[in-house]
Amino acid sequence: MLQALTKWLAATPLSQTIQEILWIIPLIQSVHILAIAIVLSSVGMIDLRIFGLAGGRGTLRETAQRFVPWIWGALAVLAVTGSILVIGEPGRSLVNPMFQIKMGLLVCAIAVIATFQLTVTHRAAMLEANGRTPATLKLFAILTLLLWFAIAIAGRWIAYMSLGTPL
Amino acid sequence: MSALDTTLASFADWPLAQMIAESTWMFPAFESLHVIAITLVVGSIAFVDLRLLGIASKHRSVTELTAEILPWTWGLFALAATAGAVLFISNAESYFHNIPFRLKMLCMGLSGLNMLFFHAFTWRSVHLWDHGPTQTGAKIAGGLSLTFWVLVVVFGRWIGFTVHTNM
Repeated sequence: MLQALTKWLAATPLSQTIQEILWIIPLIQSVHILAIAIVLSSVGMIDLRIFGLAGGRGTLRETAQRFVPWIWGALAVLAVTGSILVIGEPGRSLVNPMFQIKMGLLVCAIAVIATFQLTVTHRAAMLEANGRTPATLKLFAILTLLLWFAIAIAGRWIAYMSLGTPL
Repeated sequence: MSALDTTLASFADWPLAQMIAESTWMFPAFESLHVIAITLVVGSIAFVDLRLLGIASKHRSVTELTAEILPWTWGLFALAATAGAVLFISNAESYFHNIPFRLKMLCMGLSGLNMLFFHAFTWRSVHLWDHGPTQTGAKIAGGLSLTFWVLVVVFGRWIGFTVHTNM
Protein backbone atom coordinates (compact mmCIF):
# COMPACT_ATOMS: atom_id res chain seq x y z
CA MET A 1 0.00 0.00 0.00
CA LEU A 2 2.83 2.38 0.91
CA GLN A 3 4.53 1.51 -2.37
CA ALA A 4 1.35 2.35 -4.29
CA LEU A 5 0.94 5.62 -2.41
CA THR A 6 4.58 6.51 -3.10
CA LYS A 7 4.15 5.83 -6.79
CA TRP A 8 0.91 7.79 -6.98
CA LEU A 9 2.37 10.76 -5.05
CA ALA A 10 5.50 10.90 -7.20
CA ALA A 11 3.32 11.16 -10.32
CA THR A 12 1.15 14.03 -9.06
CA PRO A 13 1.68 17.43 -10.74
CA LEU A 14 2.63 18.99 -7.37
CA SER A 15 5.35 16.39 -6.81
CA GLN A 16 6.58 16.83 -10.38
CA THR A 17 6.85 20.61 -9.86
CA ILE A 18 8.81 20.18 -6.62
CA GLN A 19 11.14 17.72 -8.37
CA GLU A 20 11.71 19.98 -11.36
CA ILE A 21 12.44 23.26 -9.56
CA LEU A 22 15.82 22.40 -8.08
CA TRP A 23 15.99 25.06 -5.35
CA ILE A 24 12.69 24.09 -3.68
CA ILE A 25 14.00 21.05 -1.75
CA PRO A 26 17.15 22.74 -0.33
CA LEU A 27 15.14 25.85 0.60
CA ILE A 28 12.34 23.88 2.28
CA GLN A 29 14.93 21.74 4.10
CA SER A 30 16.57 24.94 5.40
CA VAL A 31 13.23 26.24 6.74
CA HIS A 32 12.63 22.78 8.24
CA ILE A 33 15.99 22.94 10.08
CA LEU A 34 15.31 26.48 11.34
CA ALA A 35 11.99 25.28 12.78
CA ILE A 36 13.83 22.36 14.43
CA ALA A 37 16.21 24.96 15.91
CA ILE A 38 13.21 26.66 17.55
CA VAL A 39 11.79 23.36 18.90
CA LEU A 40 15.10 22.07 20.31
CA SER A 41 16.02 25.43 21.84
CA SER A 42 12.56 25.88 23.37
CA VAL A 43 12.71 22.40 24.89
CA GLY A 44 16.23 23.28 26.07
CA MET A 45 15.06 26.50 27.74
CA ILE A 46 12.22 24.68 29.56
CA ASP A 47 14.71 22.01 30.66
CA LEU A 48 17.14 24.66 31.96
CA ARG A 49 14.27 26.16 33.98
CA ILE A 50 13.38 22.71 35.38
CA PHE A 51 16.99 22.37 36.52
CA GLY A 52 16.90 25.90 37.94
CA LEU A 53 19.54 27.12 35.48
CA ALA A 54 17.41 29.67 33.62
CA GLY A 55 14.17 31.62 33.86
CA GLY A 56 15.30 34.00 36.59
CA ARG A 57 12.86 34.27 39.47
CA GLY A 58 9.89 33.28 37.32
CA THR A 59 7.87 30.09 37.83
CA LEU A 60 8.08 27.00 35.66
CA ARG A 61 4.60 27.84 34.45
CA GLU A 62 5.80 31.23 33.20
CA THR A 63 8.71 29.66 31.34
CA ALA A 64 6.38 27.03 29.85
CA GLN A 65 3.91 29.69 28.75
CA ARG A 66 6.76 31.58 27.10
CA PHE A 67 8.22 28.65 25.15
CA VAL A 68 5.48 26.03 24.57
CA PRO A 69 3.66 28.27 22.03
CA TRP A 70 6.96 28.51 20.09
CA ILE A 71 7.12 24.69 20.02
CA TRP A 72 3.58 24.38 18.62
CA GLY A 73 4.20 27.15 16.08
CA ALA A 74 7.45 25.55 14.92
CA LEU A 75 5.76 22.12 14.76
CA ALA A 76 3.15 23.60 12.42
CA VAL A 77 5.97 24.88 10.18
CA LEU A 78 7.62 21.44 10.39
CA ALA A 79 4.38 19.73 9.37
CA VAL A 80 4.00 21.98 6.31
CA THR A 81 7.64 21.86 5.19
CA GLY A 82 7.89 18.14 5.99
CA SER A 83 4.79 17.46 3.88
CA ILE A 84 6.28 19.36 0.95
CA LEU A 85 9.47 17.27 1.26
CA VAL A 86 7.46 14.03 1.35
CA ILE A 87 5.34 15.06 -1.63
CA GLY A 88 8.46 16.06 -3.57
CA GLU A 89 10.45 12.94 -2.69
CA PRO A 90 8.01 10.21 -1.56
CA GLY A 91 10.44 7.46 -2.50
CA ARG A 92 13.08 8.93 -0.20
CA SER A 93 10.75 9.12 2.78
CA LEU A 94 7.52 7.11 3.01
CA VAL A 95 9.10 3.69 2.39
CA ASN A 96 12.27 4.59 4.31
CA PRO A 97 12.50 2.77 7.69
CA MET A 98 14.32 5.74 9.24
CA PHE A 99 11.47 8.06 8.21
CA GLN A 100 8.98 5.65 9.79
CA ILE A 101 11.00 5.56 13.02
CA LYS A 102 11.14 9.37 12.99
CA MET A 103 7.36 9.63 12.64
CA GLY A 104 6.88 7.15 15.50
CA LEU A 105 9.20 9.16 17.76
CA LEU A 106 7.44 12.37 16.70
CA VAL A 107 4.04 11.03 17.84
CA CYS A 108 5.61 10.29 21.26
CA ALA A 109 7.18 13.77 21.43
CA ILE A 110 3.89 15.49 20.61
CA ALA A 111 2.12 13.46 23.31
CA VAL A 112 4.87 14.48 25.75
CA ILE A 113 4.51 18.22 25.03
CA ALA A 114 0.72 18.07 25.24
CA THR A 115 0.90 16.23 28.58
CA PHE A 116 3.49 18.68 29.90
CA GLN A 117 1.41 21.67 28.80
CA LEU A 118 -1.78 20.33 30.43
CA THR A 119 0.05 19.46 33.66
CA VAL A 120 1.87 22.77 33.94
CA THR A 121 -1.33 24.72 33.23
CA HIS A 122 -3.73 22.84 35.51
CA ARG A 123 -1.50 21.25 38.12
CA ALA A 124 1.46 23.61 38.36
CA ALA A 125 1.53 23.12 42.14
CA MET A 126 2.25 19.43 41.66
CA LEU A 127 5.36 20.25 39.64
CA GLU A 128 6.69 22.95 41.94
CA ALA A 129 5.78 21.92 45.47
CA ASN A 130 7.43 24.35 47.94
CA GLY A 131 9.49 25.77 45.10
CA ARG A 132 11.27 22.43 44.68
CA THR A 133 11.44 20.47 41.46
CA PRO A 134 10.68 16.75 41.84
CA ALA A 135 13.36 14.37 40.60
CA THR A 136 10.84 12.72 38.24
CA LEU A 137 10.34 16.04 36.48
CA LYS A 138 14.11 16.34 35.97
CA LEU A 139 14.23 12.84 34.56
CA PHE A 140 11.29 13.72 32.30
CA ALA A 141 13.18 16.84 31.13
CA ILE A 142 16.27 14.82 30.16
CA LEU A 143 14.25 12.10 28.42
CA THR A 144 12.26 14.69 26.45
CA LEU A 145 15.42 16.38 25.20
CA LEU A 146 16.91 12.98 24.24
CA LEU A 147 13.68 12.13 22.40
CA TRP A 148 14.01 15.30 20.31
CA PHE A 149 17.69 14.57 19.63
CA ALA A 150 16.66 11.11 18.41
CA ILE A 151 14.10 12.72 16.08
CA ALA A 152 16.75 15.08 14.66
CA ILE A 153 19.24 12.22 14.21
CA ALA A 154 16.61 10.01 12.51
CA GLY A 155 15.76 12.97 10.27
CA ARG A 156 19.36 13.40 9.14
CA TRP A 157 19.72 9.64 8.70
CA ILE A 158 16.79 9.53 6.24
CA ALA A 159 19.29 10.70 3.62
CA TYR A 160 21.54 7.69 4.27
CA MET A 161 18.84 5.03 4.40
CA SER A 162 17.27 5.96 1.08
CA LEU A 163 18.68 4.67 -2.17
CA GLY A 164 20.75 7.07 -4.22
CA THR A 165 23.16 9.84 -3.30
CA PRO A 166 22.93 11.11 0.28
CA LEU A 167 22.13 14.80 0.52
CA MET B 1 48.45 22.33 -7.52
CA SER B 2 48.96 25.23 -5.13
CA ALA B 3 50.55 24.77 -1.70
CA LEU B 4 47.13 25.29 -0.15
CA ASP B 5 45.55 22.56 -2.28
CA THR B 6 48.40 20.22 -1.34
CA THR B 7 47.78 20.92 2.33
CA LEU B 8 44.04 20.41 1.95
CA ALA B 9 44.60 17.17 0.07
CA SER B 10 46.99 15.94 2.76
CA PHE B 11 44.14 16.01 5.32
CA ALA B 12 42.78 12.94 3.55
CA ASP B 13 45.82 10.98 4.85
CA TRP B 14 45.02 11.77 8.48
CA PRO B 15 43.90 8.67 10.39
CA LEU B 16 40.63 10.39 11.37
CA ALA B 17 39.86 11.29 7.75
CA GLN B 18 40.61 7.74 6.65
CA MET B 19 38.44 6.29 9.39
CA ILE B 20 35.52 8.45 8.26
CA ALA B 21 36.12 7.60 4.61
CA GLU B 22 36.05 3.88 5.36
CA SER B 23 33.12 3.96 7.76
CA THR B 24 29.50 3.97 6.65
CA TRP B 25 28.14 5.51 9.86
CA MET B 26 30.82 7.98 11.04
CA PHE B 27 30.06 10.76 8.58
CA PRO B 28 26.30 10.76 9.30
CA ALA B 29 27.07 10.52 13.03
CA PHE B 30 29.29 13.62 13.04
CA GLU B 31 26.80 15.31 10.74
CA SER B 32 23.95 14.60 13.20
CA LEU B 33 26.04 15.98 16.06
CA HIS B 34 26.86 19.06 13.96
CA VAL B 35 23.19 19.64 13.07
CA ILE B 36 21.91 19.22 16.64
CA ALA B 37 24.60 21.56 18.02
CA ILE B 38 24.04 24.16 15.30
CA THR B 39 20.24 24.16 15.69
CA LEU B 40 20.69 24.76 19.43
CA VAL B 41 23.21 27.53 18.72
CA VAL B 42 20.91 29.23 16.20
CA GLY B 43 17.76 28.78 18.31
CA SER B 44 19.35 30.08 21.50
CA ILE B 45 20.88 33.07 19.69
CA ALA B 46 17.48 33.71 18.08
CA PHE B 47 15.86 34.03 21.54
CA VAL B 48 18.43 36.72 22.46
CA ASP B 49 18.04 38.43 19.06
CA LEU B 50 14.24 38.46 19.37
CA ARG B 51 14.58 40.10 22.81
CA LEU B 52 16.90 42.74 21.32
CA LEU B 53 14.39 43.30 18.51
CA GLY B 54 11.58 43.66 21.06
CA ILE B 55 9.61 40.72 19.64
CA ALA B 56 9.89 38.11 22.42
CA SER B 57 10.72 37.97 26.17
CA LYS B 58 9.95 41.72 26.23
CA HIS B 59 9.58 41.81 30.00
CA ARG B 60 12.82 40.02 30.80
CA SER B 61 16.09 41.74 31.60
CA VAL B 62 18.53 41.62 28.70
CA THR B 63 21.56 41.11 30.94
CA GLU B 64 19.83 38.28 32.82
CA LEU B 65 18.65 36.58 29.63
CA THR B 66 22.08 36.74 27.97
CA ALA B 67 23.80 35.51 31.16
CA GLU B 68 21.50 32.48 31.19
CA ILE B 69 21.67 31.62 27.50
CA LEU B 70 25.01 32.67 26.03
CA PRO B 71 27.33 30.35 28.03
CA TRP B 72 25.33 27.41 26.63
CA THR B 73 25.47 28.94 23.16
CA TRP B 74 29.27 29.16 23.34
CA GLY B 75 29.64 25.55 24.52
CA LEU B 76 27.33 24.30 21.78
CA PHE B 77 29.15 26.45 19.23
CA ALA B 78 32.43 24.79 20.23
CA LEU B 79 30.76 21.39 19.74
CA ALA B 80 29.29 22.39 16.35
CA ALA B 81 32.66 23.79 15.22
CA THR B 82 34.53 20.66 16.34
CA ALA B 83 32.10 18.32 14.57
CA GLY B 84 32.20 20.67 11.57
CA ALA B 85 36.00 20.52 11.50
CA VAL B 86 35.86 16.71 11.48
CA LEU B 87 33.42 16.81 8.53
CA PHE B 88 35.69 19.33 6.77
CA ILE B 89 38.83 17.19 7.19
CA SER B 90 37.03 14.20 5.65
CA ASN B 91 36.72 16.07 2.33
CA ALA B 92 38.77 19.26 2.77
CA GLU B 93 39.50 20.09 -0.87
CA SER B 94 35.87 19.80 -1.97
CA TYR B 95 34.57 21.88 0.90
CA PHE B 96 37.20 24.56 0.49
CA HIS B 97 36.29 25.10 -3.16
CA ASN B 98 32.55 24.88 -2.53
CA ILE B 99 30.80 28.27 -2.89
CA PRO B 100 28.01 27.67 -0.32
CA PHE B 101 30.70 26.54 2.17
CA ARG B 102 32.56 29.82 1.66
CA LEU B 103 29.37 31.84 1.97
CA LYS B 104 28.58 29.98 5.21
CA MET B 105 32.04 30.84 6.62
CA LEU B 106 31.56 34.46 5.49
CA CYS B 107 28.22 34.70 7.32
CA MET B 108 29.79 33.25 10.47
CA GLY B 109 32.59 35.82 10.22
CA LEU B 110 30.09 38.65 9.75
CA SER B 111 28.05 37.44 12.71
CA GLY B 112 31.26 37.43 14.77
CA LEU B 113 32.05 41.02 13.77
CA ASN B 114 28.47 42.05 14.54
CA MET B 115 28.79 40.46 17.98
CA LEU B 116 32.16 42.14 18.65
CA PHE B 117 30.77 45.55 17.69
CA PHE B 118 27.67 44.97 19.81
CA HIS B 119 29.64 44.00 22.90
CA ALA B 120 32.33 46.68 22.44
CA PHE B 121 30.00 49.65 21.80
CA THR B 122 26.23 49.04 22.01
CA TRP B 123 26.51 47.03 25.25
CA ARG B 124 27.99 50.04 27.12
CA SER B 125 24.53 51.57 27.43
CA VAL B 126 22.76 48.31 28.34
CA HIS B 127 21.74 49.72 31.74
CA LEU B 128 19.49 52.19 29.88
CA TRP B 129 17.51 49.49 28.01
CA ASP B 130 18.04 46.38 30.13
CA HIS B 131 14.44 46.16 31.36
CA GLY B 132 12.46 47.85 28.62
CA PRO B 133 12.44 48.56 24.90
CA THR B 134 15.95 48.35 23.44
CA GLN B 135 17.96 51.04 21.65
CA THR B 136 18.19 51.24 17.87
CA GLY B 137 21.78 49.93 17.96
CA ALA B 138 20.68 46.82 19.85
CA LYS B 139 17.77 46.27 17.43
CA ILE B 140 20.16 46.48 14.45
CA ALA B 141 22.57 44.03 16.11
CA GLY B 142 19.70 41.59 16.81
CA GLY B 143 18.37 41.86 13.25
CA LEU B 144 21.81 41.36 11.70
CA SER B 145 22.60 38.41 13.96
CA LEU B 146 19.31 36.69 13.12
CA THR B 147 19.89 37.26 9.39
CA PHE B 148 23.47 35.94 9.43
CA TRP B 149 22.56 32.81 11.41
CA VAL B 150 19.58 32.01 9.18
CA LEU B 151 21.96 32.29 6.21
CA VAL B 152 24.49 30.01 7.95
CA VAL B 153 21.80 27.31 8.07
CA VAL B 154 20.67 27.93 4.47
CA PHE B 155 24.21 27.84 3.06
CA GLY B 156 25.07 24.89 5.31
CA ARG B 157 22.20 22.83 3.89
CA TRP B 158 23.09 23.99 0.40
CA ILE B 159 26.60 22.50 0.79
CA GLY B 160 25.03 19.03 0.85
CA PHE B 161 23.47 19.60 -2.55
CA THR B 162 26.61 20.95 -4.22
CA VAL B 163 29.76 19.54 -2.65
CA HIS B 164 29.81 16.17 -4.41
CA THR B 165 29.37 17.62 -7.89
CA ASN B 166 31.80 20.47 -7.32
CA MET B 167 34.98 18.43 -7.49
